[in-house]
This record gives sequence, C-alpha cells and structure tokens, in this order.
Amino acid sequence: MAASSKATVVLKAVKKIAIQFSPFESNVRSTREFLAMVGSEKARSTNMNCEVVTTVKHDKSEPVVDITYLDGDRLVMKGAKLTSTEMLSAFQSQCTSKDPQAKTAAKK
Amino acid sequence: MAATLCVKLLPKQGWLPLTQSVRHGSKSVTRHRKPMHILKQKLMAVTRYIPPTRAAPPGAFPSQTKRVEEDHPLMKILKRDLAKVFQDHKMIAAVQNNGSNAEDMLILRNRLYKHGITVKFFPNQVMRSFLKDSVYCNMTPLIIGPTVLFVSKEPKAKEMLTTLRASPQMTLLGACVDDTLLSAQGVLSFSKLPSVTVVQGELVSGLTMLTSATASMLQRHPAHLSALLQQYVKQQSSDSKEEAT
Repeated sequence: MAASSKATVVLKAVKKIAIQFSPFESNVRSTREFLAMVGSEKARSTNMNCEVVTTVKHDKSEPVVDITYLDGDRLVMKGAKLTSTEMLSAFQSQCTSKDPQAKTAAKK
Repeated sequence: MAATLCVKLLPKQGWLPLTQSVRHGSKSVTRHRKPMHILKQKLMAVTRYIPPTRAAPPGAFPSQTKRVEEDHPLMKILKRDLAKVFQDHKMIAAVQNNGSNAEDMLILRNRLYKHGITVKFFPNQVMRSFLKDSVYCNMTPLIIGPTVLFVSKEPKAKEMLTTLRASPQMTLLGACVDDTLLSAQGVLSFSKLPSVTVVQGELVSGLTMLTSATASMLQRHPAHLSALLQQYVKQQSSDSKEEAT
C-alpha cells in the first residue's frame, strides 16, 4: 500500500487544522487517530506556525476535520465513515500538490 | 581430485582404505534451482497435501464457543491498581495527549501535583477490560489512542482546566466525578459551580427567609405588632365588603 511514502506528516503548506469531535460517539476512532498523527511532535516540528485546534463537543455531531492552507484553500473531511489512513493520504496528496516547489527542490 | 577407480588395498583388517572414491559433478547444494530427481518428483506428487473439504466456508456460521483468554498476571496487577485508583480517587479525567514531549509532561505533572492531581498511564486493553466489568462501562469509548488519566482525591476541576489550557496538546475528553460521567462541557460547568458550603448556605437562607421575617416581627415592640394586626383586620373586612358588593 503506497498511500504515504513517508511516515511523518509534512505541514509546510498548512495554516490551521481544526478538529472537532464528540468522544462518546462510536465513529470517532479514525478522527482521533488522525489527530494523534497530525499533532505529534514530528509533524508539528515541520511547521511551528501551524496551529492544531481541537474542540470536544457533546452534541452527537459528526467528527469533522477542517484544514486551512496558506493560500486560502480549505479541506473539509468528515471522518464518520473514513479510516485514518484514507484521511491521511488525502491530506498528504493535497499538501504535496500545494507545495510542490519546496518538495522537488528538497528532493533534488 | 577424485579417484574414479576404486582400488581397494587393505593392507590389514580394520584399516581405512588407501583410496576413497568421491563422486564429483553432482553437488546437492547448488546456486541454481536443481531439477528434482524423478523419484523425488513421484514421492512429492504422491504425498501432496489435500485439505479436507469443508461444507461451509469458515466465516459462514459463527462459532458456538467463544474463546475467552485468561488475563496474564501483569494484567491482573494492573487491573488491581486500576480498581484501587477508581476507589480512592473521586475525580478521574480522561485526556488525550498527542505529542507532548518529556519536559512538557514534567512541567504539567509538577503543576498538577501542587493541586493534588496525579497523572496515571494505563494500557488501553487493561482499561477496556476493567471498565466493561465495572460500573463505569460508559467510559469505554473515551479510551482510544494515546490517553492519559488525571486522578485526584478532591474534584478540583478549575485548577485542572487552567493547567490544561496552558498545554495545547492535551485534549480533555471527559471525566468521572463522584461516580457521575461528565463530558468536557460538563466539567467546565462543574468548575464554575460554587463550592458546597456556599450552596448549602444559600439553601438554608432561602428556607429560613419566611421564619426569620416572622421572628423579627415578633421581636419588635408589641404595640407595633397590634397596630399591624388591626390594620390587617381592617383590610380583610374591607376586602370581604368589596366582594359582597
């Protein structure tokens, strides 16, 4: 499965990540895992300006991940029926498409 | 160096032969895949494994007996510790920490210890199996991923919230205070409540408001009281007159 070639998440093109979920629901597992992966030390060290905001609610709402990029685009993922790997791969593909110059320069 | 001719010259009985025949040209360990000897091929074909034919595929019918594995001793010890924690401590909060490094944890633990709150780590498996046996089974969905427990003997929610606000990685998921499960907003409103003594004082003052008014009226001069009563009788009679007419 070549979903993400690198284990770490690179947040260079991301301005803000807002995650909201209701922990007593049964469909929040993937969202929480996504949060754990994105909020880890390695991921945060790639971009110190990026904020990760978590809101814990109790209104049986769906878990939503809202990512705002540096150029103003927004990626909204509803994590109720998604797995964490799917969310991560979608997020990383968006990131690489947003920030190709830095990546290709780094690879060269 | 091989001797193809076997010239056995045994000078005396029991001695090793002077010449030993060595086969060459047919090694057993080769670099390529050696073609199997026909006899070996036949043997393999005859002794091939044929699995027994199953009437239904393995997942068709659910198994009748569920295999319940016994807990291994470490799990038993951890469960005992967990039971003691739940018994001793009135407030148990579940917090998810994603990526806080060692010094952050140290500072957090120091700050919480000053208010009497301890930080506990337990493996998720142990937590889940303990919770589903105990009364607190509704806390089970909180325990997913990297979860830490904040336990304290006194329910000090306000201090805990202020300390958690300082560290951005910790997310409060829920708490169990005095055997009552609270969500994150519940903990917030719980922290805003006044203390028990204040609430008791308010209740007592509300109940004794009427009786204290009567007591203060009786304590004043009796002439004042008789004047009041006369006025009251006049009002009553005037009201009854108005009703009659």
